[in-house]
Amino acid sequence: MNALTLSIIGSFIALDKYAFGEFGISQPLISGTIIGALYGDIGTGIFLGAILQLICLGGLPIGTDIPPDAQTAGIVGCGSYFILRLSNTPGHALLVATLLAFLTSILGGGTDIVLRHFHDRLFHRFQHDEERLYIYHFAGLFTSFLRTFLMFLIVFVTASLITVPPHLPQLSRQLFIIIGISMGLANASYLFVKNSTIVYTIVGGLCGLALLVS
Amino acid sequence: MRLSTTRFLKILLSNFFIQTSWSFAAMQELGFLTSLKMVLSKDSQKKMIATHKGIFNTHPYMSSYIIGATVRAYDEGIDTPEEIKNFISISEKSFASAGDLLIWQTMRPALLLMATIVSLHFGIVGPILFLVLYTVFHLFHRIKGIYDGYSRGWDVIYCLKSTRFTSVQYLFENLGALSCGLLISLISLQINYLLIVPLSVFFILLLVRGISRVTIIVVFMLLLVLMAWTHL
Repeated sequence: MNALTLSIIGSFIALDKYAFGEFGISQPLISGTIIGALYGDIGTGIFLGAILQLICLGGLPIGTDIPPDAQTAGIVGCGSYFILRLSNTPGHALLVATLLAFLTSILGGGTDIVLRHFHDRLFHRFQHDEERLYIYHFAGLFTSFLRTFLMFLIVFVTASLITVPPHLPQLSRQLFIIIGISMGLANASYLFVKNSTIVYTIVGGLCGLALLVS
Repeated sequence: MRLSTTRFLKILLSNFFIQTSWSFAAMQELGFLTSLKMVLSKDSQKKMIATHKGIFNTHPYMSSYIIGATVRAYDEGIDTPEEIKNFISISEKSFASAGDLLIWQTMRPALLLMATIVSLHFGIVGPILFLVLYTVFHLFHRIKGIYDGYSRGWDVIYCLKSTRFTSVQYLFENLGALSCGLLISLISLQINYLLIVPLSVFFILLLVRGISRVTIIVVFMLLLVLMAWTHL
């Protein structure tokens, strides 16, 4: 699959967050699974999506706050990994894909603000032309698609051009899991561990230990 | 009063697009007006457009409760726009706050955390589990919201005290806490995994101190490069 096709598919997935439904398919765990399946390696897709999901777990769109874009991170991280793997070792592909994912997630937060300002214009036009409500509203589908499409295309084309020299550091799968679990533990503790729920955390921890030992 | 199936389906379908044209100037206003316009009569549409030309913003799944109640108000021919405006002003904030707390802050991260752990142990089962459970819960609120909004009118706001909000939140808080403990099952009994302890403490400290998400992500990337460079 080339960068263009992947950008189109990724942009359709990203519409889930920005324009249609919020069904959860743009979450890194799900988008990773979809992209992995498209590349014929669903196991790796699920693994990458799951670790990226742990890292992004705490980014909450509360009120009008716009955190780094976790959905973009998931799509870019998984897509770039499969593109980079064609011309790099898995360790180099993993490191570059992870960095691209989170750089784009920060950029994604910024472009989201630009897009919403552009939507201000749609609203102002509606105020002068009330008959065209549907046109101004559903134009948001196109602008949201275009935003992510351009971003994904640039990142995926860049990823397809990158070949990391062999002597440069690699990111092992084990290190990726370690840092992913660390962020996941921090995010989950911050969100869920309170005096009223600590018993459940301890029970979960004991079950986890039992699973680990067995 | 009863909502016909066609009108219900129109509201439900348009509700999936409530965020499509989200803007800083009007937030979800165009999405809200689109939902109303799809089901109101020509006369009511004119009244509706004249009444609502401001800001509308609430939790996307919870908007169905408010839309249901507003459609009923227009169907009943309430002719004081102020009454509708007051209802929307109060309910959008209440439902936004309840939805943020229940869905964004509790249910979705708890389900994602559980699904992530399941997927790292059992593969495809995790993503499927998340999609099924999450879809059941958000569709429930969207569908029930339209019906309750329409049948209860202004009183729909009392739904916020019902078990679908309070008990479900309690359930998912506990599920999240349980899953947090279960994360231990993902580690391996190797010396390198001891790094999880200081790293987790470090990230928790950043979160507790209210450091911005962007800064945390930048720190995370620097750590990643540093650790890869030192062959940890």
